[in-house]
Amino acid sequence: MKRMIGTGLLVAAAAFAAGAAWAQDTVKVGVIFPLSGGAGPQGQHIAESLDAMATMINDKGGVMGRKIELHVRDDESTPAVGVSRANELIGEGVEVIIEGWNSPVTLAMQPVIARAGILDITAISKADPILSGEGNPLAIRFNSSNALDGAVIAKYIVDQGATRIAFLTENDAYGNGAQASIEAALNASGHAYEIVAVEKFPFDQADFRVPLSTVKAADPEITIAINANEGLGMPALIRQASRSRLPGTLVSAVGTVAPSVIEVAGEAANGVVGADIYFPQVEPFASNPVNQAYVAKMQEMHDRTPDKFMALAAAALQVWAMAVEEVQSFEKEAVANRIRGGSFTGTLLGDVTFQPNGQLDSNHYLFTVVDQKMVVEQ
Amino acid sequence: MRIVLWPAVALAILAGPWLLGGGGAVFSAFVLIAIFATMAYGLDVIVSDLGEVSLAHPVFFACGAYATAISTTRLGFGPVESFLLTVLTALAVAAVIGLVTLRLREFVFSLVTYAVTVVAMTVAANWAFLGGSDGISGIPLFSLAGWQARTDRELWPVAWALLMGAIYLVDAFRRSGLGQRAMTVHLNPELATMSGIDPLRTRLQVFLVSAPITAAAGWLYAYQRAYISADVLETYFLILMLTAVVLVGRRMLLAPLIGTALILMQEKFLSFGGYVDSIVLGGVLILVLSFLPGGLAGLARSGLKMARRGG
Repeated sequence: MKRMIGTGLLVAAAAFAAGAAWAQDTVKVGVIFPLSGGAGPQGQHIAESLDAMATMINDKGGVMGRKIELHVRDDESTPAVGVSRANELIGEGVEVIIEGWNSPVTLAMQPVIARAGILDITAISKADPILSGEGNPLAIRFNSSNALDGAVIAKYIVDQGATRIAFLTENDAYGNGAQASIEAALNASGHAYEIVAVEKFPFDQADFRVPLSTVKAADPEITIAINANEGLGMPALIRQASRSRLPGTLVSAVGTVAPSVIEVAGEAANGVVGADIYFPQVEPFASNPVNQAYVAKMQEMHDRTPDKFMALAAAALQVWAMAVEEVQSFEKEAVANRIRGGSFTGTLLGDVTFQPNGQLDSNHYLFTVVDQKMVVEQ
Repeated sequence: MRIVLWPAVALAILAGPWLLGGGGAVFSAFVLIAIFATMAYGLDVIVSDLGEVSLAHPVFFACGAYATAISTTRLGFGPVESFLLTVLTALAVAAVIGLVTLRLREFVFSLVTYAVTVVAMTVAANWAFLGGSDGISGIPLFSLAGWQARTDRELWPVAWALLMGAIYLVDAFRRSGLGQRAMTVHLNPELATMSGIDPLRTRLQVFLVSAPITAAAGWLYAYQRAYISADVLETYFLILMLTAVVLVGRRMLLAPLIGTALILMQEKFLSFGGYVDSIVLGGVLILVLSFLPGGLAGLARSGLKMARRGG
């Protein structure tokens, strides 16, 4: 009996030592995205993408010799829940948090994460106040900004010579900011136009028949749909717009129509125009060996071709790991200052540069949906 | 007995985070439970004592959050001044809502108060003075007399004091003449009138007691979150406080606290995701309101009675 107890204690001690060694050999990375609800599918794909990138980094020895351990949480697209999840991750001792699908959730989480002294990298959320420095003085964002996106959509409108414009806009920090930036860019271009209808809706709305009938009655040449609810709202909007025989062209705000949206919207998506900053099979990404390795890893691990959202989140983890290696520290300020205003070569997005305010520079590519595929204008 | 028991319970709650390991996540959970329970205590007074279901209480919560956000970021107010402004704002808004809904009962009262919340959300999301859809950021740390609460661990004593204050106020209200008049108006309005109680005046007074309690929760939430936007008026908060109030049982002093703790624990440890959690919370609310008027406590009492009969 004594021998059994002795052996048990020995095993327990060994297990404890192994656990302690594992904890020493890993670095905790917090991940907060919606994993349920309207944007749940996209958030789950992002988690898969980070898993693939973490595996790629770990296969090469990890970050400063430590393996990445992802701690993934669901913000449920609700600011209050996002703040709770951020507090949980802070309590678990993560070194960095990669977050952000909904701008209101990001804006709510930023001060909490910043006060805890943890590096906060926003992957997707677009609202301009995210980079204002009020919530997070060391903000970093990978997705393109509303201001850049607005210029691209405005240029498309000018090139088409369209003058009657309608907006279907998500009524929150992201949606209103996106609409304001398109209008600002149009005004700056000197193009004469008229806003014939503006319909606003909450993030979780899925029935657009009433706003669409109002927009249809205004007879627009271009209707701009600004809806970050890619899992539910955007496909529903596209389908209902098609059924209502909305006149003119339906233009989606930059980055709101991914292949997953087209998959759900089906044939109704044909003819939708949009713009985005990453396409895995299109140059300059297609010939980038790092991107090729990432795409192959995603297919190997999750049987999925990455879209822009997945690629941006993976790039966030990759750039953070590169910065940590370069400054040889996990310390927030050192890493953030290396990224903000800095450049990196050999990322899955190619060679990238960040503005001093933490915004990643990116190029936009226009596309039209033809036969449920995104046909990119080169 | 009461003199010994309540201080012991209060001290046990204060020591709770340390007794549970003292980790950062534990302190954060306790701070949130204290804030949301305080929010629910304000509604508890209306639901349990006045017998009405107010769906306007997120507005009072938002009053506290916005009054604090605006006064600290634009006027440089400290916690004491922002707290006073919170109470005054809540009283003013409660007086208006109370007067408008004075003669309404039950379903119509609930419907009108819900409309108030919907209007408030639209206003908050679109009015630049309230930060519009961007909200208000840059709310400073909770600082009092040179002391700053940089983390939830440091904020916990404040949250605990707020919670204890809310519990004390509700207890004092129930022992007061107003509390007894409210119950009379609730249970038998005709008797109340015959006894010389003015039901309309009593209802308004109860509203004025209830609103600052919920608003005080919004006051501390603004400091804890450091950012306030129209999301504080979302149905998440309404369903949370309603369920917290009815889950354990009405007119039980610790029921809103236990209810809030149970809901947040479910959200943290047994979450099924955004939509499913909403269905679970809404389902629990329907179940309790329809079949368990005594809440979980009533269910436990019935179970005990049956067990005794069986024994």
